[in-house]
Amino acid sequence: MTLLRLAAALAVVIAISLLWAGLGDSHRQKAEPSAAAYESLPTAPAPALRVGRPERLSSSRFSSRWTTVRRPTLARSRPSASASVVAELSTRAPEGTPNALSVIATRADAQGRVWVEVRLPVLPNGMRGWVPRHSLGAYQTLDTRLVVDRSALRATLYRDGKPIFAAPVGVGTSYWPTPAGRFIVRSELTRYASPFYGPVAFGTSARSAVLTDWPDGGFVGIHGTNEPELIPGRVSHGCVRMRNSDIVRLAELMPVGTPILIR
Amino acid sequence: MHEQRDFDRFLHAVDVDGAIAETSHQRQLVLSRRGLLAGALAGPGALLLGGSEARAASGLSANDVGILNYALVLEYLQASFYTEAERSGALSGKTAQAAQVVGATERAHVKAFQKLLGAKAVKRPLFDFQGVTEAQQAFLKTAVAFEDLAVAAYKGQAPKLQSNAVLAAAVGIHSVEARHAAWVRELFGVTPAVNAFDKPATKQSINHIVASTHFIVAHPKMKARSRPQYTG
Repeated sequence: MTLLRLAAALAVVIAISLLWAGLGDSHRQKAEPSAAAYESLPTAPAPALRVGRPERLSSSRFSSRWTTVRRPTLARSRPSASASVVAELSTRAPEGTPNALSVIATRADAQGRVWVEVRLPVLPNGMRGWVPRHSLGAYQTLDTRLVVDRSALRATLYRDGKPIFAAPVGVGTSYWPTPAGRFIVRSELTRYASPFYGPVAFGTSARSAVLTDWPDGGFVGIHGTNEPELIPGRVSHGCVRMRNSDIVRLAELMPVGTPILIR
Repeated sequence: MHEQRDFDRFLHAVDVDGAIAETSHQRQLVLSRRGLLAGALAGPGALLLGGSEARAASGLSANDVGILNYALVLEYLQASFYTEAERSGALSGKTAQAAQVVGATERAHVKAFQKLLGAKAVKRPLFDFQGVTEAQQAFLKTAVAFEDLAVAAYKGQAPKLQSNAVLAAAVGIHSVEARHAAWVRELFGVTPAVNAFDKPATKQSINHIVASTHFIVAHPKMKARSRPQYTG
């Protein structure tokens, strides 16, 4: 009996083993065609677009922002509707172009209203004020900067911190000095009939502190000339004069909105 | 042709001063000269496209170029939004970090689209975000809207692409936009993933939404012919 039981148990074990092995075979038999099917799938197409690494913002050391006045507004001494008014701003510069302003900083007040600190095109030169964001237009960013050196009688245009243009200039006499400070190029005039201003004249936010009764308020321009022999020199009423070939070249390189440092 | 009409409608809705259409017109000129371009890139066609840019965009159908330019305008919108927010310095904490990371990605998308489209790429419009980049909550609210919009737009256009290679690229970008959407949603305090199925958005609805923001504005005309009145 014991032998019989042992034989029966062995038979059961063998049967189970065979069955297990058989199942394994059947699994393998089923898996093999699947694997082959996968291999026969077409390769995915390579994307037409190669997206590179995320692009971190470059240093803003040499960049500046400017905007235009979208609706008439008041500039205030602080970012608050109750702060004192320091200037009124219209939508147009005297030339008829949109009134361009350099953006210095922005701040949201306790109510979430955004205020923008700008350089003002008013006397005394160098005034700043806070303007409601909703009265301004789009921000534009530039990496150009013009430096006018009154001692060296030279203007240099920088792009991204590197000089890309330099030319001798005429500046104001001691009676009508060219004002020092930080300003903005706010318009570019061309195709007018006035040899005195040469072929191109840039409007700036700088104002003569002396010629206050000049038409349009005595704004200082950067322009060509019909007297190139006077350049370089202290010859103007405050404007920055250049030889015509230089002002034409500058116009190709310097966009409106470029900040100006006159020193 | 259908996609071309759709893209023209999109331009009409968002291109306030014709700056985008200007490049689009160039693109159409290029497309109308396909015969000239077909033989070789040298010759009259090369004058329009020129060198590697021409090669970059060659091989794409007019249908796919239209869809890619549509996507490029949306990428311009997003990249400019995050760039302005980062430059404003008004954001803080995790929101500022997200703006930096997402902005860097959107700028990479713009660059890739421009490279692929070459001379056929539309110009970057001027954006006036009206202060939403300069206040944290307004920024987040707008970011959620933009990312959800981008995800829905990609989903809406992907099935219309003719090139599988362009489709593969679009799918790769679509999932990135979806991650952005989830991230900014979490930061804004809304559920990142609500639905089991996201519906695509039609171009018409995207056009309507983008145009209604008035974020795309005309370039101010800063040049004039008036006689100078400067001090001289």
